[in-house]
Amino acid sequence: MSLRTTHSILSGPSLPLKSRLTPLAFQLQSRNRNGTTRTLASATPTPQPDPQPASPPLQSLTNAQKKYLESALRVNHAGELAATLIYTSQIPPIVKAHPHLRPLMKHMYDQEAGHFKTFNHLLAKHRIRPTAMYPIWYAASTLLGWGTGVMGREAAMACTEAVETEIGDHYNSQVKELLRWDDEAKARGETLGEDLQALIKDVRRIRDEELDHLDHAVGEDAKMARPYEVLNGVIRAGCRGAIWVTERV
Amino acid sequence: MSSTTALRTLLRTPASLRLLLLQTPRSTYHSYDHAEQPVYREAERTILSSALAHVPIHGFTQEALTLGAKDAGYLDISSNLFPKGTFDLVKYHLVSQRLGLKDRIQFPDENFGVGRKVRNLILERLRANVDTGIVTRWQEALAIMSLAENIPASLRELGALADEMWFLAGDTAVDASWYTKRASLSGIYAAAEIYQTTDQSTEYRDTEQFLDRRLEELRTVGGAVSGTLGWAGFQAGAMVNLLRSKGVMI
Ligand SMILES: [Fe+2]
Repeated sequence: MSLRTTHSILSGPSLPLKSRLTPLAFQLQSRNRNGTTRTLASATPTPQPDPQPASPPLQSLTNAQKKYLESALRVNHAGELAATLIYTSQIPPIVKAHPHLRPLMKHMYDQEAGHFKTFNHLLAKHRIRPTAMYPIWYAASTLLGWGTGVMGREAAMACTEAVETEIGDHYNSQVKELLRWDDEAKARGETLGEDLQALIKDVRRIRDEELDHLDHAVGEDAKMARPYEVLNGVIRAGCRGAIWVTERV
Repeated sequence: MSSTTALRTLLRTPASLRLLLLQTPRSTYHSYDHAEQPVYREAERTILSSALAHVPIHGFTQEALTLGAKDAGYLDISSNLFPKGTFDLVKYHLVSQRLGLKDRIQFPDENFGVGRKVRNLILERLRANVDTGIVTRWQEALAIMSLAENIPASLRELGALADEMWFLAGDTAVDASWYTKRASLSGIYAAAEIYQTTDQSTEYRDTEQFLDRRLEELRTVGGAVSGTLGWAGFQAGAMVNLLRSKGVMI
């Protein structure tokens, strides 16, 4: 009877959330066949840490940790969107006036595009919504890139210096926080899990690349920009404000 | 009460931004390395699923809940287990069918486009209302959901369903369209579900056609809607390009 079917469907295996793991595994597999056996392996539901001496048990994520990851990844994603757009609108005027800067600008842009791709992937994978301010950041960073690009080489480099200083700080505190989790998990004889280990590596590498950009910018006379203090102060305050907002919406 | 405050905040917000408020509590980091907590505890799950079996006859009522508890071997439901009464019953149907959707759906092949997948997902979710026998009683559920104190949770659940559908359809875009996609799918699903409760046709053919008309509208109007959201960003980019094309040195 239909009443019985009702009952069996609802009391079926559909409820525990952990069984939601399969669809994305399937989805990722169909999207990039080359890379993600790891995701598939880790997607098999492992409800309780099996007491196997070889691999330490997984640490379970607290709600606070999930919230942290959600807002951190959303900020990273928004930041990299902004970075790629700043370079996109800076490059034409800068390269026109200073052709020798083309390789450097392209190098920095390519790295930012790579960062953006990384966080696009991570947001989709972990089902985190992008910032609601997306269109606003899009406009703001395009205008910032364009404005400083038109002002000239020094202003453009001052912009890079200011942005990368804030972003570098931001990534630094993230690495610190994640390493703290890692230490705490280790102290309990647990492990953070492959996804978070990989995230630590990614964020570290990206931070180092951002700091390289900072060095390049200073090397290209960022400090000679006029009015340097104003540019530096305004852009850095803007970055901090944007991070603050994006953490929330 | 916090739910009325939430509702008031919601109503004061411009319509275009409401979805953002509703989205905020969900969609935290979804982990693959760690098992997630089940939504319902075992006792709740048993009682509510037994109670749903009584809905076709008794409706979304306290009586169905009581009978469900009896079936599950609980003589008396303590009222604090289900503080929201019948809404908890409605929500259980929503949550369990949302999470069960991935097991109901099979896409024939890889080349199935996202749009067709979404259509199949909506139809499959609507079919779940029929298969569980609650479709004849769903108008009662809609009435319960539209009570002021239940609106935020109902809309959140609707948003979660839309998110689940885009996810299962394999959509991975995380740009400004993320919001418009979920908003429009929520609207279309809600409309189709209301239509379904009045549908007298065989095998709900009319609902299917109704759905196809809504999806067709989305295809034609959809571009304009997402354009509005991306408008600010687009304008900035377009302005720069336009000025460049006019020979301005920027
Ligand atoms: Fe970057």
